[in-house]
This record gives sequence, structure tokens and C-alpha cells, in this order.
Amino acid sequence: MQAPVTPLKDDFSFDGEGFAKMVDFHVRNGAPAIAWPHHKAESLNLTIAERKLGAEIAVKTVAKRVPVSIFVGTLSEEDSLDIARHAQKIGADMLLTISPYCRRPSQEEIYDSIVRIGTHTELPVLTYNSPWRNGEGVEFTSELTKRLIDRLPNYIGMKDASFHSEKFLEISRVALKMRPGFAIIQGVEHLLAAYPLGACGSFSSSGAIAPNLCNKFYKSLVDRDWDTARDCQFKISRLWRLFKEQYPSSLKGAMIMMGRPVGPTRSPLPTATKERVEFLRTQLEELNILQTEPHGW
Amino acid sequence: MPTFKPGLVHTPVTPFKQDHNIDYDTYAKVLEFHIRNGADALALPMPEGEDMSLTDPELRKLLEFAMKQVKGRVPVIAHASDAGTSIAVDRALHAEAAGAAAIVSNPPYFWHPKASMVVEHLVRIGTAVKLPFYIYNPPVESVGTTLSTEIVLDVIKRVPNLAGVVDASLDFVFMEEVMCNGRQLRPDLQLIAGGDFMVSSGALGGTGAFSPLSAIAPRLARSLFDLCRKNQFIEARDTQESIGTLNHAIKSAGESGLRDGLAGLKAALGSFGRECGVPRPPVRGLGEVERGRLLEDLAGMTFLKAEPRGW
Repeated sequence: MQAPVTPLKDDFSFDGEGFAKMVDFHVRNGAPAIAWPHHKAESLNLTIAERKLGAEIAVKTVAKRVPVSIFVGTLSEEDSLDIARHAQKIGADMLLTISPYCRRPSQEEIYDSIVRIGTHTELPVLTYNSPWRNGEGVEFTSELTKRLIDRLPNYIGMKDASFHSEKFLEISRVALKMRPGFAIIQGVEHLLAAYPLGACGSFSSSGAIAPNLCNKFYKSLVDRDWDTARDCQFKISRLWRLFKEQYPSSLKGAMIMMGRPVGPTRSPLPTATKERVEFLRTQLEELNILQTEPHGW
Repeated sequence: MPTFKPGLVHTPVTPFKQDHNIDYDTYAKVLEFHIRNGADALALPMPEGEDMSLTDPELRKLLEFAMKQVKGRVPVIAHASDAGTSIAVDRALHAEAAGAAAIVSNPPYFWHPKASMVVEHLVRIGTAVKLPFYIYNPPVESVGTTLSTEIVLDVIKRVPNLAGVVDASLDFVFMEEVMCNGRQLRPDLQLIAGGDFMVSSGALGGTGAFSPLSAIAPRLARSLFDLCRKNQFIEARDTQESIGTLNHAIKSAGESGLRDGLAGLKAALGSFGRECGVPRPPVRGLGEVERGRLLEDLAGMTFLKAEPRGW
């Protein structure tokens, strides 16, 4: 699934026209679904009004060609509920949700948040599993996942950013037994390690730069062509190492090179400097991305 | 340096008597059990062997005992880890003299030094010996330093005999980055699964595994390992799931803050007719209720029917 960045104008204002182009680019380049606004899209640096406007543009631009998932995670649960209501009204296909940020929530608190959002909407709901070291993240353990599947008929899947064999396997073995179609989708393309354990896809970080590589990677997994899959995974992993610092500043910087300028990154995240952009150009050339991936919109 | 490939490595527990002394008679049986039940190599004493709870003289004696018992039938990888660099270096030198086939070391226990000091610690152990050297990335629940990709890359550059990384962090991103960047520096760098989660590591090009659960289910572990070696990762999922179920039951038994599963592992061993006592303090053995619950879980696991009982 492709998770578009949020194009901004030079004055840092939301570029709706650019965003429509971005969404359309992904759909034309093989995205099986569109998911917005993830962290890559600077979600928490957008106002709630901007998030609603972007959701409307996404749904309208995609025009049912593929499903659209709207991320409702915010600092305040009231805002999340508001965005969820709006997403349902404008015809989005599903929601991605997490409990409010910066709270170190207990498992019970996460359960309450997700049930509140999940019963507030008729849309299918995905949750975002984001455990960090030191317990700062929001972790969906297999036990919590089980309780939520029991409670919510519209709970259809999870974005998994645990990136951990044991945690992943625990969730997948519990969830897939209870709800066979339960979709576990990797955050970023850390997919090779998870696919054989039951992951069905990923939210892409590199798709705005290298959609051909992403599509080739996914096809190699479906074909069980493990050598090709490893080559693609390692190439994507090298791209991720370029992008992950101050994400998504470098990603946006690299998009200039691909002829898809999407403007600066909102503070407190930095905007990629000219030197950084030049460095990214050399790296993209070395990785044979500049030469093999689509330029322009 | 000829390439040492450890394959499916069993990681024996250390049995204790009631007075907490090492039970060497039983340890001999443990080692024989592993050799008879498909170990390509042994690594000892790993966390399952309670290395941190053994004194320095005990660690040395245990290794010497194991070398005599094994008599070269399978390679023995010696675990040399400690908080202090010089202690770990001395232990690695002792292991080399005792005839170990390779050394495996953690980043320093307890301290949280800067990355450059972690590199220094590992470089000093690795360069002190001529044996193949493996560095171990501990589980996410553990206390102390973990390995970053950058640390691994620095160690590769400075330790010519660095053979590979044993990854118990089970972290997809770490494994990916180590394989893709590490192999640019050392094309034959090995990724070894530091636990029984072999599918993810194998899909990323991992070639070996340190398998604690071989103590309970050596046939299942062998079947999972062989499927992964044949690149049959999708086919391996069911077996991986069975191993995951067993792992979950053992690890969630008891109240260990580390979720290290030591008490559960020893209780399970006893129920399979291979009594190895309880862990050394401060790790608590299972209470009767916890033990009952674990044994009930194990009894429900039909995939364990084919596994060996007794010694």
C-alpha cells in the first residue's frame, strides 16, 4: 500500500493540487491501496482541518480505483473520533487507528481507545502496533489483539511496526485463527522477514521514489523467488537508511531528484539542505534508482 | 580462515542440584541427549545455560567438562561474555586453549557505554583469539547494551575473524541492515538466528540457529531448520507456529521480569523425563499452580507427541 507524503508549498502551506498529483501518481504506478496521512505525511504537523481536506482530496482523486485508508491517530481522542466520522461521511474505505500519542498507555487504556473508535464508525478498522523500547510506544500484544477481535466485528487488520519475529508470530497465530482474513501489514517495507509468517503487505516508504522496485519486491514474494526478494529487500533497506533520519525530510529531498518536487518539511522537522539533496542524488544513482524508476508525475 | 558454519546449534541448560551446585552427572546426560538428537554444534553456556549465574571458575570448569564429554563429536562454541572487557577476554582465551571451535560474545553486560566502547569491548575479545568469533545481539527484553548495525559494521572492519552475528533481538530491521551492509564488507558474513525463530532470519539469508527449544523438541527444531535451509519459508510457517506456541507457553510461565523462560524451560524438561532441577537464584522456580498450568498447556500441544521422553 502506498502512503503518500504531504506536498507543501514554499510557504509551508498545504498544497492540495500537488497532493492530488501525488495520490494519482501512486495509483497509476501500481499501488493496491492508498493510506494517508501517516508519519511520513507529517500527520501530526497538519491541522485537523488540513487532514480532513486531504482525506477529501484523496478519496476524490482515487475515485474508487483502489481502497483508501485514513489514519486517525492524533494527540486527542476527540480529534480522532472527529476525523473518523468525517472519513466515513466522505466515503473512505477504512481507518487506521492508534490510541492518543505521548501517553505510555496501559493495555486497558489502548483497549478502551480502540473500542471507542471502532464502535464510533461502521468502517473497517486497522490498528497501528508501534511498540518502542522502554515501553514508550503503543503495543498491541497478541492478548490485546485477541480481545479486540472478540469485541469489534469491524476490526480487520493491523499495521505492524514491532518488526520482531516473536511478537509478530504471536499476533499472527492468534489473529489468523480467530479471523482468517485478518490483514497484517508491515509498516515500511520490512516485509521479507514477515511475509512467510503471514504478513500480507506493507505500507511503503520508498514507493514515492522507487515504485517499480516495490512492485518487483512484492511480486517476488508472491512467486516465492527468494533470491530476487532478498536483492529487493536489501536495496529497499539501503534506501530506508537514507530516509529514516528526520523522516520524511530526506525522502522529500530525494523526490526532487525524481522530478516530483513536494516542497519543504514542516518544523520541527528540518527540510533537506541542498548538500543533503546532492548526497541523496549520488546515492540514488549508485543504487540504480535514478536510472530505472519513473521521473515526473 | 576456513569457513566454520555452525548449522543447527543446541544450547544446553545447566542442571543444578538442590544445593544449587552444578549437577555434572546430569550435565553429561544433557550433552549426550543433544548430540544424539540432532545438534550440529553446541553453544554453552548461553542464557539458557544461565551463564550469568555461574562464577568464573565454574564457567571454566563447565567448558572443560563439556569438551571432555563431547570428545570432538560436534563443535563446541564457547560463550564468553561479561561486564568487564578483560574478564571476557581471559575467558575467551581459556576457551580457545580448552579446544572450543568458536567464541560467541555479548556486548558488555550491565553498562551502557558509548557505541565506540562497545566496539572496543568486542574487538578486544575477538582479536585476542584466532577462532571464528560471533557477536550476539541480546533479546529486546534484556538489560544492558544491544548491538546497532553501526557497531556490527565497525567490528567487522576491525576483527578479521568475525564470522557472524547471532541475533536474539529478532529485529527485522537489524537483521536486514546487518545482512545488506555487513555483506558488502564481508561477503561470507553469517546471520544466525539467536533463538528458535528461524523463518524470518532464514528469509533474509541467515544460515544457522541457536536453538534453546531443542532441549524439549529437537525433532520440531530440526524440521524447521531443514525447511529453512531449503528456502521453504512458506511451508515452514506451520512448524514455526508450533515452535512459537511452545516458546510462548514456556516464556509466559512464572514471574521472571526478563521473560527469559528459564523456570518454564526447566519445568518443561522435568515433565519430559529429563529432570535438570530449578534455575539458580535470583530466578525463581515455578510455583505449583504455574507449573500445573504449563504442564497442561504442554499436554495440549499435539505436535509434541513425537518428541523424545527421558534421556
